[in-house]
Amino acid sequence: MKIVVCIKQVPVGAVKIDPETHNLVRSNVEGDINPYDRNAIEAAIQLKEQAGGEVILLSMGPDSYISSLRDGLAMGADSAVLLSSRAFGGADTLATAYTLAAGIKKIGNVDLILFGRQSVDADTGQVGPIVAEDLAIPQITFAENIELHDHNVLVVKRLLDSAVQEVKVTLPAVVSVRAELNQPRYENPLNIQTSFEKSVTIWSEKDLDLDNSQIGQAGSPTVVRKVYAPDKATKQMEQLPTHASKAVTQLLSELNN
Amino acid sequence: MNNALWVYVQLNGQKVEPTSLQLITKARQIAEGRPVVALLAEDLTTNAEETVKEYGPDEIIVLKDDHFTQPTDGELADALFQVVSANTPNGLLFPATVQGRSVAPRLQAKLRTGLTADCLDVYYDGEDLIQVKPTYGDDIMCEILCPDHRPQMATVRPNTFNAEKVTGANVKITTATFTFHSEANIEVVSEKPIISSSANIADAKIVVALGRGADNDKTIALAEKAAAKLGGMVGVSRPLTDNPKFSHESQIGQSGNTIAPDLLINLGVSGAVQYTVGIENAGKVVSVNTDDKAPIFAVSDFGYVGTANEFLEALVNDIK
Ligand SMILES: Cc1cc2nc3c(=O)[nH]c(=O)nc-3n(C[C@H](O)[C@H](O)[C@H](O)COP(=O)(O)OP(=O)(O)OC[C@H]3O[C@@H](n4cnc5c(N)ncnc54)[C@H](O)[C@@H]3O)c2cc1C
Ligand SMILES: Cc1cc2nc3c(=O)[nH]c(=O)nc-3n(C[C@H](O)[C@H](O)[C@H](O)COP(=O)(O)OP(=O)(O)OC[C@H]3O[C@@H](n4cnc5c(N)ncnc54)[C@H](O)[C@@H]3O)c2cc1C
Repeated sequence: MKIVVCIKQVPVGAVKIDPETHNLVRSNVEGDINPYDRNAIEAAIQLKEQAGGEVILLSMGPDSYISSLRDGLAMGADSAVLLSSRAFGGADTLATAYTLAAGIKKIGNVDLILFGRQSVDADTGQVGPIVAEDLAIPQITFAENIELHDHNVLVVKRLLDSAVQEVKVTLPAVVSVRAELNQPRYENPLNIQTSFEKSVTIWSEKDLDLDNSQIGQAGSPTVVRKVYAPDKATKQMEQLPTHASKAVTQLLSELNN
Repeated sequence: MNNALWVYVQLNGQKVEPTSLQLITKARQIAEGRPVVALLAEDLTTNAEETVKEYGPDEIIVLKDDHFTQPTDGELADALFQVVSANTPNGLLFPATVQGRSVAPRLQAKLRTGLTADCLDVYYDGEDLIQVKPTYGDDIMCEILCPDHRPQMATVRPNTFNAEKVTGANVKITTATFTFHSEANIEVVSEKPIISSSANIADAKIVVALGRGADNDKTIALAEKAAAKLGGMVGVSRPLTDNPKFSHESQIGQSGNTIAPDLLINLGVSGAVQYTVGIENAGKVVSVNTDDKAPIFAVSDFGYVGTANEFLEALVNDIK
């Protein structure tokens, strides 16, 4: 089975707003694999252990994303592809997914494309479904259990808002995964060592079959008008007595008034 | 192209998902004269328009087909696309539920327009629908718009707005023309309602919320006892979802549930902004923390400086 896992690098620690430009300041912020994407990598490796095949990591972003791709290789993925170019900058989810889909087409003959349920920074969860649409294949989002039946059929348990769905899909398909699906494995020393021997291929827009009006800022319908720190409504708090039972008595009597 | 503001109405089984109704009320408040249209896809035995009607949209467009009992995301997106692209409304709102967050982006991709995720507010500024969403680890909000493409799409956080019924509204009901296309290679085998947690934390009137400062078996047992005595539910901050006792379903906050109880008791919760955005609509807020400088106190009506355990023991003792 040929599995592509899409991973995003997200900032670790606080992100600040520049008081002058009102832009997000992300420089000097370290990056790490989006935590849910580790669940996706784990799921891919487990499927490979059952069915054989290969696990390819795919990311769109600047060259600094290579460190996250190496981390994913150290978990046990076989190779990695980074889509990197100035032309991809400023992409929203539509343009990001369009570019990733072009990368997946170029990789070719992919059976399964795995995503995290959402990124922890922009938090949209939109990229997976858009990629599925761009590739015209089925999607199963928010998977919390994946079973392999035959060599190309997955039965996936999906948690909805007030129901559990069981969905059966014949590959190729897109699946996005919840953290409940598995416990991502640690990078072991051997894998860390071999990860540096594995290949990380870098493609720009010139390597892909793309409509340039659909990528980067030009291909992004959304515009961020303003980024700001909201005024937090603070309440006038009443401090309760330090003695717990007095505190509770006072609280209950005031709440009942 | 038309200037209407559309709201997608989600069904859970035959029941209308509450956020959809909240969004109809919100849409009526912000529409500034634009017609508000509810978009509904249901099977032949369902009559959700009867419920939707009470909330006073100008029009309900109904897609009727028996496949809508258990459609795939792709089938739903395809059917909605046919109707949305035939009209190209000005705006299109979805609940930021699992279904909304799965189907809206697939529809967005067909329409080649923008979609903003998980908004806490939406309003018009001229022709632009301003979509306000929280973001990042710090307390940062952003305003996103979609100036050159229609519809302007957003998913909106559940329980952010109230649903209000409208008496005597004149609601036009239209049956949509479309063709249901079954999606190849995928099939929804079964859909079972979740029984145990169908009592939803988002709808609870009283919530006892536990944070990392209350993450031990004894405190958790006391909190469950207190919640049961008060007729409420136990909720948690994100770190506690790592405890096998709890799941994402009881998480409060930005990446969990927005709650709106009459009474909320926070125990050992520090008050990170990703948590507090989820409790903005709570009535009385009581917080217990060993640190008198914990940020949670700034959004509380009552504060107790001390341990979660001592407070809970006294509380369990005192309530009948
Ligand atoms: C503050 C802020 C708010 C934003 N809000 C929106 C918005 O509302 N709508 C919008 O269209 N865009 C938005 N964006 C832009 C958006 O963050 C980017 O398009 C981003 O590249 C992908 O979206 P995401 O982070 O939400 O990913 P999600 O869709 O949440 O990610 C889901 C999964 O997709 C995969 N994935 C995501 N990004 C990549 C990548 N670059 N390479 C490989 N795999 C990836 C991962 O598997 C990930 O787990 C916002 C950006 C910022 C900075
Ligand atoms: C993108 C993103 C999304 C997020 N979404 C969410 C979300 O939806 N919900 C959420 O909760 N978090 C979310 N977080 C995490 C959030 O930033 C905080 O890390 C989290 O809310 C902290 O949880 P806490 O208050 O329980 O723990 P802590 O911050 O560790 O606070 C524990 C508190 O307990 C107090 N304490 C210690 N011992 C005791 C005792 N014996 N008795 C009483 N008090 C005691 C301490 O003084 C402290 O204030 C998100 C983070 C990111 C980056």
